[in-house]
Amino acid sequence: MTSVLSGPSVQHGSKLNVRDHDGLYGLIGPSAPSMVAQLRKPRQKEDGVTKWEWKKFSNSARKDSLRLCHWAKSNENSNAYQFSKYNKHPPEYSYNDEEYGRLLEDPEWTRDETDYLFSVVKNYDQRWHVIYDRYYYNSGRERTVEDLKDRFCHACRRLVKDRITDPEARKKALEPYQFDKDRELTRKRYLSNLDGRAPREIEEEEALFLEIKRLEQNERKFKRDREELLRTLAGIESGLPDIVEDELPLSLFDSSKNNKRKRGTADAESPISTPIPPSATLSALGTTKRTAPVNPKIPPEDPIQCIRHIELSPTTPATKAAHQPSFLRTFKLPNPKTSTHVRLVSTLQEVGLTYNRLVMPTEGNVALLHTAVDAATALIEHRKALEKVEADIAALKEKHGVEGDVASEMGMEEYGHGRSLSVATSARSARNKRGRSLSASSADTVPQQKRKR
Amino acid sequence: MADRVRVRGISIHRPIIYGNTAVVLTQQEREALRREGKESHTHRWTVAVRSAASKPDSGIVGGADDISTYIKRVNFKLHETYPTPNRVVDAPGPFEITETGWGEFDVFIRITFIPESGEKPHSFYHHLKLHPWNETNEPEIPPLEEAIRAGPVHAWQYDEVVFNEPYNNFLQTLTAHPPTPLPLIKRRPAPYHSAHTASLPDTKMPGTPEYNQLMIEDEAERLRNATAAINADSERTKALTAAKEKELLFLKRKFGEV
Repeated sequence: MTSVLSGPSVQHGSKLNVRDHDGLYGLIGPSAPSMVAQLRKPRQKEDGVTKWEWKKFSNSARKDSLRLCHWAKSNENSNAYQFSKYNKHPPEYSYNDEEYGRLLEDPEWTRDETDYLFSVVKNYDQRWHVIYDRYYYNSGRERTVEDLKDRFCHACRRLVKDRITDPEARKKALEPYQFDKDRELTRKRYLSNLDGRAPREIEEEEALFLEIKRLEQNERKFKRDREELLRTLAGIESGLPDIVEDELPLSLFDSSKNNKRKRGTADAESPISTPIPPSATLSALGTTKRTAPVNPKIPPEDPIQCIRHIELSPTTPATKAAHQPSFLRTFKLPNPKTSTHVRLVSTLQEVGLTYNRLVMPTEGNVALLHTAVDAATALIEHRKALEKVEADIAALKEKHGVEGDVASEMGMEEYGHGRSLSVATSARSARNKRGRSLSASSADTVPQQKRKR
Repeated sequence: MADRVRVRGISIHRPIIYGNTAVVLTQQEREALRREGKESHTHRWTVAVRSAASKPDSGIVGGADDISTYIKRVNFKLHETYPTPNRVVDAPGPFEITETGWGEFDVFIRITFIPESGEKPHSFYHHLKLHPWNETNEPEIPPLEEAIRAGPVHAWQYDEVVFNEPYNNFLQTLTAHPPTPLPLIKRRPAPYHSAHTASLPDTKMPGTPEYNQLMIEDEAERLRNATAAINADSERTKALTAAKEKELLFLKRKFGEV
C-alpha cells in the first residue's frame, strides 16, 4: 500500500534528476506514468461490506406452522421466500359418475381403484416412483409404474378432450399427459439389456462396430480409386460427378483408441479377433485418416492434365507476395558458380553432358541434371585435393633434391596403372614381382583393395 | 470457389516447343527474291512456339494443341536487318513467323500469358538454325545441292511452362484443354538436340521429326549413367588421394619434417 502511495512521488523525483536531459526524458514518452495506473488503490463500495444474517422465513408451501431459518442479506427486508415461485401444482382433474361411465370405463380398472389412483397421484404430486411405492390397492393385479402412469394419463387425456374445445388450449392442456407405455417399456428394456451385457458381449459388439466401419472405409476408398481411374482414362470432361466424402465420425477414432487398449487384454476370447487383427484394423484406419483431410477442392494429381502436388512450406503465408511465379523448366537448369565454371564444363563433357542443356527438360530430368552437376562439382573438389597432395609431394622432392626415380625406388611407379601401392623398396619389389601384394606391408593393402573394387 | 483464389498445393504445366524449321530455297524462288532485292537469301525459315505433341501425319513439328488457350501473345525479335524486327503474333496464332534469309542469328522470343493467369511474360531466345546439324555443333555451310538433298533443318527445344498454384479460373481454363500426350512409341525421327549428339542419325532420316515419351526416359537414363560415371571417378580419385597422402607422409617422415 505504501508503494502505491509513494509511486507518483518517485516518478516525480526521477523527473527532477533528469531535468538537465530534457531530450532524454522526452524519449521515455507517455509510457512512463503507466505504473501509477497499475498501482491505483482498489476501489471499494462506499457503504462498506454487506452483512449476512441468520433469519427466519416463511415458506408458502407449508401448511403447518414450522418456521425455518436461512442466511439472508441484512439489507433485504422482503420476507418473501425466493423459491416459493417453484411451488406449482399441476391442474387436478376429477370426474363424476356420468363422465366415468362415458369416458373412463376400462376392463382392467374398477371405478374404485381409479379413484384411489387419482387420490394417490394428488397426494404425491405426480411423482411416479413415489406413487408406485405408496400404491397399496388390493385388486388382485400387480400394477407397474407404467400401468399407473398410463391409466392416469389416459384418463386425464380423455377428460381434457371432453372438456376443452378450443384446439390451442386443448393442445396445451394435453401436453403434460403424453405417455406411450409401450415405448417406455421398450426404453427400459433396452437400458436394462445394455446394463446387463457381459464383458465378452461388449467386446464382440465393439469389434463388430469396427468391422462395419472398416468395410465402409474400404468401400469409400474403392469408390475414390475407381473415380480417379475413370478420370485418368476418360479425362476430366467425362462428366463424372464429384464423390462427396462424407465426414468420418470422430468417435470412430476415439473408440478405436479405446479398443486398442481393451483389445490387448481381452482379444483372446473375442470371436471376431481372427478376421480382423487389431493391427490391420488400425492400419486401415490410419490410411483413411491420412487421406481424409484432403481438400476436395484441390484437384488430384493428373499426368494427363500435368497437375502435380507441390510441397507447401508451412511458414509461407498465403499472400500474393509469397506466390512463386510461373517459369519454364529450362529456367531451372543448373547455374554453376563462375569460379569452377571452366572445370565443370570440361568435367561434364567427359561424360557427354552440358550443364545448361537438356533435350527433354521435364521435372525429373532437370533434377537428374542437378544431381549430375553436383556429382561433377564434388569430383572437381576431389581432383583438386589430389592435385594439392601431388604438388606437395613434388615440392618436397624438389626441396630435398630427390630425383623423380625415388618414387620408383619406393614402389610408387604403379600409380599410373592404378595398381598396388607398395612402399617396399624397388629392390624388394623387383625380387618379388609376382608376390608383391603378399609382401606388401599391411598398411598398404588397404588402398590396394579399395582401388581394386 | 471464387475465381480469383489460388488453388493451393498444386502446380500445373503445359509442354511447349520453340524453335525453327528451315528449307533451302529453290532456284526459282531465289530468282523471285532477287527481283525483290534479296538476292543473298538462301533459306526460308519458320520460327514458332507450339504445343509439344504433333498432329498425326502433319508436316510440322508439334502444334497438336491450341496453346492460345493460355498464351495471349508471342513476340519474336528478329535480327535488326529485317524490316520491323519486332514481330508480334496475337492469339489465336499460330505463333510463328516465316521469313527468308541467309544467316543464323538469335531470335528473342517473349511469351505473354492470358490476363487471368496473373503471370508475367517469359523471355528466352532461340538460335535460328539454317544449316544441317553436325557432330561439332559448329555452323558449317554445305554446298547448296547437298543442303537440298539433306532436306529441311529442324531445331527445336522442348520445354514446360509451369504454373504454381494457379488461380481457380485459370486452372479451369487450363484443364478444359488438356494437352495431347506425347506418343509412347517413336513413330517418326526424334528432333535433334545438341545436348544429345548420338541422335544425329535421326536428322538423316526421312519424315518430320516428332517428340515422343521415350526421349524423356532415354535422357533420364543418360543422366543417370553419367552421374554414375562421375561418382565412380570420384571414388577412384578419393582412393588415389588417400594413397598419395600416405606417400607424402612417408616422404615427410623420411626427410624428418614431421
